Amino acid sequence: MAVPAGGVVADVVLAGAGGIRAPAEVFQRIFLVFLALGTLVGTVVITYTLYNAYKYRYREDVDPAPDTERPQMGELPEGGGKGKKLFLSFGLSAVIVLSLVAWTYGALVMVEEGPSQSAGQEELESLEVHVEGYQFGWEYTYPNGHTASTLRVPVDRVVNVSVTSRDVFHNFGIPELRIKTDAIPGQTNDAWFIAEETGTYTANCYELCGQGHSYMQTDVVVMEQSAFDDWYSNTNGTQASENGTQSPNGTQTPNGTESGTHSEVIAP
Amino acid sequence: MSHGQDHGHDFPPKSSIKRWFITTNHKDVGILYTITSIFVLLLGGALALLMRAELFTPGLDFLSSASGYNQAVSAHGLLMVFWFISPFATGFANYIVPLQIGADDLAFPRLNAMSYWAYLFSIILFVISFFQGATFAGGWTMYAPLNVPTYMPNVGGTTVVLALIMFVASITMGSVNFLTTIYRMRAPGLRMRDLPMFSMSWLLTVWMMLFAFAALLAALMILAAQHLVGVNYFNVDGGSLLWTHLFWFFGHPEVYIVFFPALGVMAECFQTFTGRRIVGRKWFVLAMVLVALQSFIVWMHHMFLTGINLQIKTLFMVTTIGISLPFDLMVFSLIYTMIKGRIRYTTPFLFCLGALILFIVGGITGVFLGAVVLDYEFRGTYWVVAHFHYVMFAGGTALVGGLYYWFPKMTGRMYDEFLGKLHFAIYFVGFNLLYFPMFSAWETPRRVFVYETSAAFWHKVATVGAFMLGMSFLIMFYNMFKSMASGEEVGENPWEYATTAEWAVSSPPPLENFPGIADYRGGKLSFLSESEAKAADSGTATDGGTATDGGTPPAETSTAAGSGTATGGALATAEQALATRTVETEPEHADHASYWPVVVCFAGFLTFLGLSGVVQQGGVYYWLTGAGGVLSAVGFVGMAQESFYAPEPTLAEQWPFEGVPNMKLGMWFFLGSDIVLFGGFIGSYLFLRVANGWMFWEHELIPAAHVTFPGLVNTYLLLASSFAVVLALVAAHKNSSRGIVASLSATWLLGVGFLINKGIEWQHLFHIHSDAFPNGWDLATNVASSTFYLTTGLHAAHVIVGLIMLLYMIPRAMRGAYTGEDEASLEYFGLYWHFVDIVWLFLFPLFYIL
Repeated sequence: MAVPAGGVVADVVLAGAGGIRAPAEVFQRIFLVFLALGTLVGTVVITYTLYNAYKYRYREDVDPAPDTERPQMGELPEGGGKGKKLFLSFGLSAVIVLSLVAWTYGALVMVEEGPSQSAGQEELESLEVHVEGYQFGWEYTYPNGHTASTLRVPVDRVVNVSVTSRDVFHNFGIPELRIKTDAIPGQTNDAWFIAEETGTYTANCYELCGQGHSYMQTDVVVMEQSAFDDWYSNTNGTQASENGTQSPNGTQTPNGTESGTHSEVIAP
Repeated sequence: MSHGQDHGHDFPPKSSIKRWFITTNHKDVGILYTITSIFVLLLGGALALLMRAELFTPGLDFLSSASGYNQAVSAHGLLMVFWFISPFATGFANYIVPLQIGADDLAFPRLNAMSYWAYLFSIILFVISFFQGATFAGGWTMYAPLNVPTYMPNVGGTTVVLALIMFVASITMGSVNFLTTIYRMRAPGLRMRDLPMFSMSWLLTVWMMLFAFAALLAALMILAAQHLVGVNYFNVDGGSLLWTHLFWFFGHPEVYIVFFPALGVMAECFQTFTGRRIVGRKWFVLAMVLVALQSFIVWMHHMFLTGINLQIKTLFMVTTIGISLPFDLMVFSLIYTMIKGRIRYTTPFLFCLGALILFIVGGITGVFLGAVVLDYEFRGTYWVVAHFHYVMFAGGTALVGGLYYWFPKMTGRMYDEFLGKLHFAIYFVGFNLLYFPMFSAWETPRRVFVYETSAAFWHKVATVGAFMLGMSFLIMFYNMFKSMASGEEVGENPWEYATTAEWAVSSPPPLENFPGIADYRGGKLSFLSESEAKAADSGTATDGGTATDGGTPPAETSTAAGSGTATGGALATAEQALATRTVETEPEHADHASYWPVVVCFAGFLTFLGLSGVVQQGGVYYWLTGAGGVLSAVGFVGMAQESFYAPEPTLAEQWPFEGVPNMKLGMWFFLGSDIVLFGGFIGSYLFLRVANGWMFWEHELIPAAHVTFPGLVNTYLLLASSFAVVLALVAAHKNSSRGIVASLSATWLLGVGFLINKGIEWQHLFHIHSDAFPNGWDLATNVASSTFYLTTGLHAAHVIVGLIMLLYMIPRAMRGAYTGEDEASLEYFGLYWHFVDIVWLFLFPLFYIL
């Protein structure tokens, strides 16, 4: 992940501003480790398999184990070996797999509990956005009551989304920001993310929801804090605040950016 | 054998079409399943190719807009998972399992034929759905509330639900049948632990099927009721989550149901073609048993993003990762089996080896999905698609290997080995070209045809791979047709080192399977004649000694068959001697044909087809439903009246059900599945009630008019009726025909009383006019009414079925049936009736008191 523009020290590759590890980095690290381990294990096991399949190919004149009893027609099964090697391999894979589980459990807890434990967090308030999926789009409601079909958030700030659906089962996900949660009618699911780079991203629907499922995308614009504040204050003329009480006034903010690509947005 | 194997009772030859409609023989049914499932493979595969063609570039959209694509992806999934892959395995199971265990046929041959016909007609129903507006377009997972009529208004959507119900009926009949067969009809000396690997894997498969499909049936029946009578389950608070629970509680065991037979085939082929016995066989079997059990406690890993709490997520993460461990053991067992082997790269072996490699890839990527934090991102993406195709289609790959493996046995001819290898080469390359790029393109959401251009290259490669994989099957079809016509003829066993009993008989086997009774008590397979079996059984030594001893050093393959024919002549005289004495008590030959299965299933087809459109469109659908109902009645009565002789084996391993006749055991298995069905309904009620507020439910959703008294009366009526059935059995012991008739009639009257009382209660509730319920409290009023009527309605339907059975039994009792030794049927009915009453004892407090 690139360092956020504006120069927070490069050392915090694995942490966003304020020492909070965004779910995106958590995912990235774990994914890479699994990928490396999985590729290694897969390659070793498959190579070993093919090696044995070749080494013990049938040769007319050669029996690799003349004293091995070969299966006989009509015999009652006995099993071909003591299985000691079997348990060794089994034990090894069990150790690997269980360690992976234990390791990811820590990350799971962290993601679940949200970014509440990190130090230096006082200056960062989280932004609460209510997300409602419908056939076939996403509607975002901000704390001040403003609704829009584009999600605008400030960079380097925790965004808490409460996701639900107006009709059928959807799933809200912003792949590049590594956030995803089911949008279920009648219930609200919470999730959070931090975007570490400004730009335009895409939110997709990840649960088949009807004819428009393939097109159910909205933009997600990550802006500098100041740009965000400007925009937010223009939505109903109020300052960005945690507890908006106005009813939605339906103003749509202009959506001037392209979707899908990771481009820089220059703050006005 | 010198016993004339005279099946002169008009059993048509295989070349006649009539034969295939009336056969009940397991080998014929196996062939029917295999061929039909391959047609489904073609249909599901064609749909996949259409999808891949549209996915060649993002934004292509020739499948008549999203509806077409969604239908294709849903139908592809449904057809492949339900109607192709398990039935493909069922074909082998039907053909091979009785041979492997030494049985002449399944325990209930007509039921077996019914399983097949129900399967076939359910496919036809499914295909018809395409033409009824649109087929189901909500994914094979059929999530709620997209699956309810509000969002899925086409008749075709309803038809698919009904077709699936018919399919589940087929599966349930099959599981009951195979379980009874495997437990009660094994050759003497073949203990449960000695079951060959394919039969063992099939045993576990049908165990899982029995319980898992019952849960799915609950979900489907509720959904069908939602479509047809407007109940409110999946469109209320908690309804979406309820569906996911019901569906995945079934859905997870389902994937092992799909994979286990393939695993069995792999074990058989690895042993045969490496010439080494499976390493650690005992642990392999134990691992399979463990997976079968564990499969029922991992389902929520499909629901990690539904908002369930952390503790539950953690629990299911652990059980999910845990279930990969037995698979590790099995994979290594197969690999180690190759060591010191003498491996022949026959087509079956190549497919099984290929399947193993594909399964390793799939399994590893599954571990990724089990780590919840990763699943948070993989959910709903192509990572999942790639993963499950690698594991499930690896299963399919092994089953293709099984087709090549058993092709010589089933047809008597050898397939072309070069073409087989060519098929494998193109198949394997195509498979990986199709699915491996999906890991690179994993960010693509599932079930879309618009995706990021960055993934376009991978999708192009995948499309090319898809066509390669599809085309490779043409080679297989050509091979099979050509070989059936002009392939080299094979004897009993073309495969060196094969050990199981199907390879000890001719290819294809004779109608009665074996030249005598298969017997493993000597430590290896031999065949006894009838008289030898009786003699050996009673302990007296006869000149049958040579045939029964397993200790004599055998001359390989021919012994098993040889002892039968070689000593057959010597025994002929002994048999002649016995013949005069036994001719009166000698049983008739087993029956192999009945036309009632196809009639009953066709009637079912008409009924379901009628039901699909009767609400929305009426007209011809009414007639279809009516015709179906009438024909069903005729069919069931005809089948009950028919004298069909399916003998239980005289000599068999039957642990642990030695004293339990087949019919009774079958009834027990069926009731086991019925318990899960009711469990699904009751569980749904409890779940929804908690989701909507337990007391809120009582205070706001149920009218004051819904009182306990009618339920109490019904409880007494049912308990009395159960007592009456017990009296009937007592009368049967005493050979009192009048007593039986009187008691059964009392049962019937009490049952009718139950229904009348319920009818009065329901009528009253339908017509109340209170402030809260101005239009009455009926099926569609709210979730409380829906759960009440549907659950107690399901129970009432069971009562009605019982009463119909009584209407059949009472006249027979009047004519003297069920007295003396004939009381078995009465006992089985009693079992059913008591079960129905016990269910009521749960429903009464749940719906009337709490």
